Amino acid sequence: MGSYLIRRIFRTLLVMLGISLVVFVFVRSIPGDPAVAMLGERATPEAAAALREQLGLNKPWFFNPSNPLDAQYPKYMSALLQGDLGSGIKSNIPVRDDLKARFPATAELSVAALLFALVVGMPAGILAALRRNSIWDNLATTISLIGVSMPVFWLGLLLSYFFAVKLGWLPPSARLGSSVSIERITGFYVLDGLLRGQPAAAWDAVRHLVLPAIALGTIPLAIIARITRSSMLDVLGQDYVRTARAKGLSGRAVVLKHTLRNALLPVVTVIGLQAGALLGGAVLTETIFSWPGIGSWVYDAISQRDYPIIQGGVIFAALVVSVANLLVDLSYAALDPRIQYS
Amino acid sequence: MTTATTTPAARQDSIFWRRFRRSAPGKVGAVIVGAFVLLAVFASVLKPYDPTVDRNYSLILKPPSLSALWDKDVAEAYKDPVTGQVNVWRAPFGTDNLGRDIMTRTLHGTRISLKVGVVSTILALLLGTLLGLLAGYFGGWLDSVLGYLTDVMLAFPSILLAIGFASIFSASDPPFLIAAMDRLFALNSPQLVTAMLAVSLVQVPVYMRLARAVVLSIREREFVQAAGALGASQGRMMFRHVLPNSLSPLIVQGALSIATATIEVAALGFLGIGAQPPLPEWGTMISDGRQYYIDAPWTMLFPGLAILLTVLGFNLLGDGLRDVLDPRSTQ
Repeated sequence: MGSYLIRRIFRTLLVMLGISLVVFVFVRSIPGDPAVAMLGERATPEAAAALREQLGLNKPWFFNPSNPLDAQYPKYMSALLQGDLGSGIKSNIPVRDDLKARFPATAELSVAALLFALVVGMPAGILAALRRNSIWDNLATTISLIGVSMPVFWLGLLLSYFFAVKLGWLPPSARLGSSVSIERITGFYVLDGLLRGQPAAAWDAVRHLVLPAIALGTIPLAIIARITRSSMLDVLGQDYVRTARAKGLSGRAVVLKHTLRNALLPVVTVIGLQAGALLGGAVLTETIFSWPGIGSWVYDAISQRDYPIIQGGVIFAALVVSVANLLVDLSYAALDPRIQYS
Repeated sequence: MTTATTTPAARQDSIFWRRFRRSAPGKVGAVIVGAFVLLAVFASVLKPYDPTVDRNYSLILKPPSLSALWDKDVAEAYKDPVTGQVNVWRAPFGTDNLGRDIMTRTLHGTRISLKVGVVSTILALLLGTLLGLLAGYFGGWLDSVLGYLTDVMLAFPSILLAIGFASIFSASDPPFLIAAMDRLFALNSPQLVTAMLAVSLVQVPVYMRLARAVVLSIREREFVQAAGALGASQGRMMFRHVLPNSLSPLIVQGALSIATATIEVAALGFLGIGAQPPLPEWGTMISDGRQYYIDAPWTMLFPGLAILLTVLGFNLLGDGLRDVLDPRSTQ
């Protein structure tokens, strides 16, 4: 286990190095001169050249024969390792500060979406497997099929049209009403509202969270329901479950004690793999619901060609996904003692 | 010799169809996909359309004309000022902010979406399978390097990778490859070609992993070993023995990927990075309608419905093909 852990972490670090390299090359391949983008279209060539010099953009990318460390990539990596991601071109705010301010919004939305997906998807999958080929099974299968086929951005607009515009039950955008404010502790507004003893504000945050969480959680919900169903069916068909039934255990005991725990292993994998899908979906969901998270931030940066923000946001997203994958692999050991790491 | 080779092939066909007819999702999916293919092929016959000149400022953001049957206000909007007759078929899905008929645009969007979905999937399938085949067959450092690249690519949320890729190429002066593909597939939009390639690129690692895994299991089978013992060359073993026997899961994944590609290209269009207006691409149409959807929800309702149905069709078809080609994996 120990050597596996080390090798797995080493591999994750190697992947992160690859990520930094990919983003480095990508950002430098985007057409347009960042110096001109920063100074504006009317900048003189001399001013642009001076800024390029100042930013180090006239240096070679990877290797400088006269001084090996005086190239763009080593400088970029050393800044990255110190957590320095540069500053937004338009705002001039350090990317790291923006990231810190916005990550809790995306995290809160993702957690809410995942919670919605789990609370609805797992019971639906279990029910479908236990009552195989019943109306419930067909219903759950059909709904999950429609769920995986759903364009998130369209679903978001539909939800906002029906529940916010037509029925007026829930707010259509933002994280809080304009009259409500919560002093920040964790950045999760629902939690902060409760911690600060402002239940009304927390409730307002919950109401703002519902629609985007449903939009973002629908595809994970469908996937979780499908995986839970097929995994349950797989386990229910195994010999030891038949033995348990033959011993005369009640159906309930068989399901709760013998089946569920083993059937949930693939579900854990899927939850971990959803990290990437959630961050990707956040770009669309946050744009629709004006949610001040990382997704809408990166989207705005792309439309304004704000390279440091794109770079920082994408690297951050990729890091989150790599760490989530690592955690999934490691959590297997805790959940399934049969797995040997060699 | 000829009879010996044709008879089993014919029998295999009949097994394929017999199993496929028994698969309910497969049948429904095939019907939906078939319907959309027909619509795409005959779009120009049903309703000739030129997105650049289609405008009608007397019918801006009008509700679906079919609702004129029960709604007096709508009937008023679609009344011919000369004859006084109401044409309920004028714009069955309503009109958008430039007075364009949404049904016609959605219909022609079918063409774009199917073309882009199929082409991007085929490109990813070819490249990914080839790389996966090489990695699985030869193993060693090639396998390690490709596996590492796959890990790196899969760490990016696919939509972000696609956005990044799509933003590298300038639309006004597209590289030769993109301009050539634009002409070849008659898409009339270099940005759409870039989006298509981006979505395709994101799928490559998926095929690579799948092909590699299948090849690893097939490579050790007796018939491949026998071919090697009989003196078959590496290339012959790879392409004549291993590849044909690895195709089933790749075909299943292909149908499912067309679904993913359709959604992702529409998402890029929605974000303004894929197809550009006035092209009637579904995602772009929804993005156009976004400003008006509070008063005119039909501008985004129907293109989205079209995406949902197409994607559902391909997902069902993929499930059906899995029932047929890979029955062990079906629950």
